[in-house]
Amino acid sequence: MNCKDCSEKLDRFVDRELNSTEVLELQLHLESCPDCQDHYEFEAHVKRLVRHSCDCDTPPAFREKLRQLLT
Amino acid sequence: MAESPARTAFAEEALTHLDTLYRGALRLTRDPDQAQDLVQEAYLRALRYQHSYQQGTNMKAWLFAIMRNLFWDRFKGSRKEDVSLDDVGEFVLYEKLRDEGARPEADVLDKLAASEVVKAVETLPPLHREVVLLVDVEGFSYKDAAQALGVPIGTVMSRLHRARQQLQKSLYDYAVESGIVRGNGTPQVQQ
Repeated sequence: MNCKDCSEKLDRFVDRELNSTEVLELQLHLESCPDCQDHYEFEAHVKRLVRHSCDCDTPPAFREKLRQLLT
Repeated sequence: MAESPARTAFAEEALTHLDTLYRGALRLTRDPDQAQDLVQEAYLRALRYQHSYQQGTNMKAWLFAIMRNLFWDRFKGSRKEDVSLDDVGEFVLYEKLRDEGARPEADVLDKLAASEVVKAVETLPPLHREVVLLVDVEGFSYKDAAQALGVPIGTVMSRLHRARQQLQKSLYDYAVESGIVRGNGTPQVQQ
């Protein structure tokens, strides 16, 4: 695998959508390529950032209202 | 009103996915009151069509599908109203920062305000926003996201790819405007 192949598969690697063979190939490349390893960590960081930023709890009063309405 | 045990059990199970539905509704409508109305209606509809849910399949995806279909019916009228993404070309934030000397690149991410990240997500067109919500925020697989959205997996992947490019472009623009990076991409001098 070269850096271009790695870059093309990085999204699916971060999303855990590669098959086991592809994962092994990509991991081998990352171990030998600091630039791609940096890129991978960056994309995983962006994904975590989006998840944490958009996280929010359901308002408790609404949760209770819904529970009473439905059950 | 006395409910049957089966209906109550179904409702209880469905309510375990409330946070996912509320988060999704809030980011789609961008309004807490409208989000609550949307989620309530989605749950009422889910109970009404309980018989159409197949046991053992992904209830969270099924519920999300009901909620987002209601969103499109109620708030958009027609799916054709969804505006397409600006063509940002191949924008990769990591490469942009690297090429312009902003290293380490991840430091820039640590300085982004969560509210600005939310804003970047909420300004994506809804068809692209909902893919980011499912895959990045809720951790859905592409297959489950495809089920919830009623589209092929390839469509999930292409929408996600474009949405992420637009999202990263928005985050870059914000980083420049707020002085986190200079216009040419290099980081500001540390305070």
